[in-house]
Amino acid sequence: MVDEETIRVVRCGGSELNFRRAVFSADSKYIFCVSGDFVKVYSTVTEECVHILHGHRNLVTGIQLNPNNHLQLYSCSLDGTIKLWDYIDGILIKTFIVGCKLHALFTVAQAEDSVFAIVNKEKPDIFQLVSVKLPKSSSQEVEAKELSFVLDYINQSPKCIAFGNEGVYVAAVREFYLSVYFFKKKTTSRFTLSSSRNKKHAKNNFTCVACHPTEDCIASGHMDGKIRLWRNFYDDKKYTYTCLHWHHDMVMDLAFSVTGTSLLSGGCESVLVEWRDATEKNKEFLPRLGATIEHISVSPAGDLFCTSHSDNKIIIIHRNLEASAVIQGLVKDRSIFTGLMIDPRTKALVLNGKPGHLQFYSLQSDKQLYNLDIIQQEYINDYGLIQIELTKAAFGCFGNWLATVEQRQEKETELELQMKLWMYNKKTQGFILNTKINMPHEDCITALCFCNAEKSEQPTLVTASKDGYFKVWILTDDSDIYKKAVGWTCDFVGSYHKYQATNCCFSEDGSLLAVSFEEIVTIWDSVTWELKCTFCQRAGKIRHLCFGRLTCSKYLLGATENGILCCWNLLSCALEWNAKLNVRVMEPDPNSENIAAISQSSVGSDLFVFKPSEPRPLYIQKGISREEVQWGVFVPRDVPESFTSEAYQWLNRSQFYFLTKSQVTAPLKKAEESLPTTPFYFILGKHRQHQDEKLNETLENELVQLPLTENIPAVSELLHTPAHVLPSAAFLCSMFVNSLLLSKETKSAKEIPEDVDMEEEKESEDSDEENDFIEKVQDTNNTGLGEDIIHQLSKSEEKELRKFRKIDYSWIAAL
Amino acid sequence: MAAGGGGSGDPLAPAGVPCAFSPHSQAYFALASTDGHLRVWETANNRLHQEYVPSAHLSGTCTCLAWAPARLQAKESPQRKKRKSEAVGTSNQTDLLALGTAVGSILLYSTVKGELHSKLVSGGHDNRVNCIQWHQDSGCLYSCSDDKHIVEWNVQACKVKCKWKGDNSSVSSLCISPDGKMLLSAGRTIKLWVLETKEVYRHFTGHATPVSSLMFTTIRPPNESQPFDGITGLYFLSGAVHDRLLNVWQVRSENKEKSAVMSFTVTDEPVYIDLTLSENKEEPVKLAVVCRDGQVHLFEHILNGYCKKPLTSNCTIQIATPGKGKKSTPKPIPILAAGFCSDKMSLLLVYGSWFQPTIERVALNSREPHMCLVRDISNCWAPKVETAITKVRTPVMNSEAKVLVPGIPGHHAAIKPAPPQTEQVESKRKSGGNEVSIEERLGAMDIDARKKGKDDLQTNSFPVLLTQGLESNDFEMLNENAFLSFYSGFQKLISPGRERGSEVEPWQWKVLQTRNVNLIKKTVLRMPLHTVIPLLQELTKRLQGHPNSAVLMVQWLKCVLTVHASYLSTLPDLVPQLGTLYQLMESRVKTFQKLSHLHGKLILLITQVTASEKTKGATSPGQKAKLVYEEESSEEESDDEIADKDSEDNWDEDEEESESEKDEDIDEEEDEDAEGKDEENGEDRDIASEKELNGDSDLDPENESEEE
Repeated sequence: MVDEETIRVVRCGGSELNFRRAVFSADSKYIFCVSGDFVKVYSTVTEECVHILHGHRNLVTGIQLNPNNHLQLYSCSLDGTIKLWDYIDGILIKTFIVGCKLHALFTVAQAEDSVFAIVNKEKPDIFQLVSVKLPKSSSQEVEAKELSFVLDYINQSPKCIAFGNEGVYVAAVREFYLSVYFFKKKTTSRFTLSSSRNKKHAKNNFTCVACHPTEDCIASGHMDGKIRLWRNFYDDKKYTYTCLHWHHDMVMDLAFSVTGTSLLSGGCESVLVEWRDATEKNKEFLPRLGATIEHISVSPAGDLFCTSHSDNKIIIIHRNLEASAVIQGLVKDRSIFTGLMIDPRTKALVLNGKPGHLQFYSLQSDKQLYNLDIIQQEYINDYGLIQIELTKAAFGCFGNWLATVEQRQEKETELELQMKLWMYNKKTQGFILNTKINMPHEDCITALCFCNAEKSEQPTLVTASKDGYFKVWILTDDSDIYKKAVGWTCDFVGSYHKYQATNCCFSEDGSLLAVSFEEIVTIWDSVTWELKCTFCQRAGKIRHLCFGRLTCSKYLLGATENGILCCWNLLSCALEWNAKLNVRVMEPDPNSENIAAISQSSVGSDLFVFKPSEPRPLYIQKGISREEVQWGVFVPRDVPESFTSEAYQWLNRSQFYFLTKSQVTAPLKKAEESLPTTPFYFILGKHRQHQDEKLNETLENELVQLPLTENIPAVSELLHTPAHVLPSAAFLCSMFVNSLLLSKETKSAKEIPEDVDMEEEKESEDSDEENDFIEKVQDTNNTGLGEDIIHQLSKSEEKELRKFRKIDYSWIAAL
Repeated sequence: MAAGGGGSGDPLAPAGVPCAFSPHSQAYFALASTDGHLRVWETANNRLHQEYVPSAHLSGTCTCLAWAPARLQAKESPQRKKRKSEAVGTSNQTDLLALGTAVGSILLYSTVKGELHSKLVSGGHDNRVNCIQWHQDSGCLYSCSDDKHIVEWNVQACKVKCKWKGDNSSVSSLCISPDGKMLLSAGRTIKLWVLETKEVYRHFTGHATPVSSLMFTTIRPPNESQPFDGITGLYFLSGAVHDRLLNVWQVRSENKEKSAVMSFTVTDEPVYIDLTLSENKEEPVKLAVVCRDGQVHLFEHILNGYCKKPLTSNCTIQIATPGKGKKSTPKPIPILAAGFCSDKMSLLLVYGSWFQPTIERVALNSREPHMCLVRDISNCWAPKVETAITKVRTPVMNSEAKVLVPGIPGHHAAIKPAPPQTEQVESKRKSGGNEVSIEERLGAMDIDARKKGKDDLQTNSFPVLLTQGLESNDFEMLNENAFLSFYSGFQKLISPGRERGSEVEPWQWKVLQTRNVNLIKKTVLRMPLHTVIPLLQELTKRLQGHPNSAVLMVQWLKCVLTVHASYLSTLPDLVPQLGTLYQLMESRVKTFQKLSHLHGKLILLITQVTASEKTKGATSPGQKAKLVYEEESSEEESDDEIADKDSEDNWDEDEEESESEKDEDIDEEEDEDAEGKDEENGEDRDIASEKELNGDSDLDPENESEEE
């Protein structure tokens, strides 16, 4: 009746759009691009994703329209298959199994039943162009093993292969030579550019190639920014080439227009250049496209171009060089320094975007909302140039303040640092710079946090730096006779033994500030800025620090680099518990006491959700990602869910999103359930969960204790549900009584994760002597938590329970 | 959701323009303006998402529109639907938008593909379509028209499923019941139809004018004692053209009651209505009514029975322009539509012009009965239709922003005097007898400064200027000038962008612009001790300014510090007075810190030796003056007294001066302080920093110990 509730990781965005050239449909209504394991179909008019074609099991490496049927699309993938799709409806028509890794795909209208692909057969770095014969068959899956070899020793990138003049020849470039293979003659001509002749030609490597659609003309792009147009290459001796030179750096991609009258080129200047009639004089430009042009493609109808850019976007451009639409993915071509944040105002995900920008990304619609230009300097794209990086950002006071830190470090000693404090202006609905602070610290800022307590009357910001100080900035009245103004000033500078300050965080009510200095955590009173106490575990530098929230606000959590997670009690100033866990990401949920920690091991990343008050985690999921998780964040839900089982209740009010290194932001989400939410469902669900819960309780704690009636969800639900919607009393009676009983079943031991030994730490840490005014409380913690048992059921039990449910509650189907 | 209708000439046509938020997450706002263009806006970033002009937009203007429920998007083949549901992100996509036109046709527009999906014409209406409603489950579409008929459409086949006469006059509004089995229709009276049989189930009185909006407000009956048949006991709401009352009706089991159970009063004709459905009887219904006068009225009530008196709104929202200066008065900005967000705690407001509306999410947490939001939309008025390519927003960076650089107060924590020290400052001031009010001082200074300025500018020699100033016993004037200029300097700090050239500088400060080192030395040597601190403050102020002037000031500063080091170190309130200077120096000598420290110390040593030798021989006029004045000696006495009183600080200072060997011990003490062992933590820290400061005036004894 009810599927077992499961939590699963869902890829929700941030996929790459600029991996390969995008392909237009024949009528220019749609544009296709590869995106990880999928092919995405976008509308060129509305920029909306119409379909996602999924079926490949590995990275999709190439897509081409079927030249014989313009409503079909071929795609190839590293999983060794070529798939044929009906893109209008998003249906997979056929799968051709080739059996070796395919790196690119080409189609030629003249070769009716075969396509071309780049494979590597023997050695890992030797690539070949082969022709794959696609057998005609009615079955869904067809084996296509008939490969015929065309060219050897080619470049892996599909940009270095081009079919010209209706498939008469194919041109391939690699390093310093261009090879042309003529299908009819079955001969290869090779033209080499001398690289060593003089120093001027030192950088004339080939980077890309394109063939004229009707004439015998090959255009090649080079490392030094030149474009060469080769003609008369049928003759090994009499060949000629002309040079076109505008780009100052490498030509990234070339494309001829459909009629061949103009050639398009692009590079890291982010300017699309249209060369008319292949002459150097007739140039048209479309400048300021925002980022390096990686690919250029032309629609078969000839009315549209599109450019793929390094900041994960595709710009659709009209024939008259007017940009008409932008398909923008999550910008992730640089490392994320700021981490993931949620803008309290728009509820958008905020992180580093384009260079010098903060991007606001809507998680609901998987779309970029906008980029906020923080640095406001022209971005000069050049190799070896050290750019200003936006390293830290934080929102404060319900989104009214934004603090950003930018830095540029050319050498060890030459650090440029600037902190900007932006105020949100409601009138103009935008941010306005309020205070700019040059060199707020002498060294890199490691942490930045606002005091977000609701009652705080004065906005407060704390910066911690490697120079050994942390600074408290407050908003003060800066009014003078000319104007009313507010501005930020430094209120307090704190340090501890000249150690580097590594983390800082405010408690929920804003009364305490915790600053970690390498291995030591210091607690400061936020009113007088007095040092209250210090905690030290001698377990490595503190990597993450956070206070507990709500009922757990007396706890402070710290994760160290040596893989220890510590929880201190602020009332007793004693270590409450610690666990051996190599925490990479630790994020508190703003809506509950829960804290999510992601640990990194050799096999992958594991997720732990726990409350600081109890060392036993609420929920564990192993292997949420194969890669290293870089950042995570809790995103509050607009509408709270109501998951009944305790293990999933942490997802009721928030969702957890995390970011891995390679591409995706993946949220943790629950599988959809089929049962509509009715009061019955709540009762049954909770009752069931309660049983499970109790089994575990008895197993773990060996505590015999009568459950309090108000704590049993089943009972409370029963009492609060109108009588007329309840099932018959006879049915409920047994359930009700059952719920009050303690289960006597004994179960076998569960699997125990080795790295989660939440041992009670009896010894007090070496907090400093001035803490002795607080008595250490130890007797509260020894309630049998010494066992390392995780809240889980064995499979047989689960099965039993499920069976039990099916039988027992089938009457509900009749209602 | 939408409750709008277009039209111009007809006096009984509803006001406003057809518009609607997309279902579920309200990601889009569709608006069919009177010029026949359909525009879809993204609510999250206020960006024009797409624009569509129907081919017959001039003859058949759009009269109503409705978004299809999200589940309908991926229809056609069931196979695809299944796959769709797996793809998170597209499954909730909203797509189809139904547009009713003035000529009776219905257009289905796909917002994902940006093209016309299909057109519902054959067998439909032959007059203006007034309202369209999608059935939430079956995928049917219901439309009503001025031709008195209601039509049920099969959207997949684009065919009429059923057509029946709904009223004797035009049918102006429709609404489908929450369970999907009933349909409300209204012309002037309201009818409830059973959808299966197309029979009238109930009649309601309705309004005197055409009903422009109908909406169910509850999905469960308030009284849960009897079994719920899906319709009985439910409340619904109706608003009509030119009617300032919204009526609430209840579907009763007995057929007799036909009048409204309650009504809401608003200030003008309702243009757009949105509400949150109450799911249980405890939860109130929240209602947002946008009126033609541009206000939003919010109601929050639990519907449970009969109320004769019209209910007034709980909260009214208005938007106005800021009205810059005295000339322009704030003008109201009309609100065009308002929709509740899915969390029910915030409202999406659409305001401004129809061509470039601004969409904003406003939290509804205040309990105030009236909210007036001030918004500046002057830069939004120009219609910008072309899509922004880079999606970059540039936050405002203007010169009004405060700039903090190292050395300027506010960049580093201000050094505050310890509590006992402030007492000392006060007592000292009293003992000094310097109790002239600021007003008097200013007055006196003004006269003196002018007089003196004229006198002294005639004589062109700097030493004469200063000696004249000193010999005329005009210490106070000097003092107050510093006082004044300190004030102006403070103001300049607050507004660093302002030019200082406009101000007329007091005459003394021309002296400071000399580059002659000997001159400076001599002048400083003859400075009376009282003026040292004000002079230092003036120098600090100038150091913070332009680098060129700072170069000159460094010479002065160096001289003052070397010559008057011993005097300065006796001052108990030195820390707060020269904290800024210390921070400034600290930040400026960052680069070659140790070298500059050593350099400073060597200079100090050498100059002290030479200076002491020199002063032995020559008796300076400054010293003469020092001996003459009683104030000077009294101050020294008072200092001694304070030192005697106790005050660890002074003791520390004295010790530090006398023997710098103890610095190491002090360092240790400092460390201990930082550990916070001492209860009087803050105080100690101040002392520590004071020590540093004193050390700095001696050019840092700490480093001396390191170097040794």
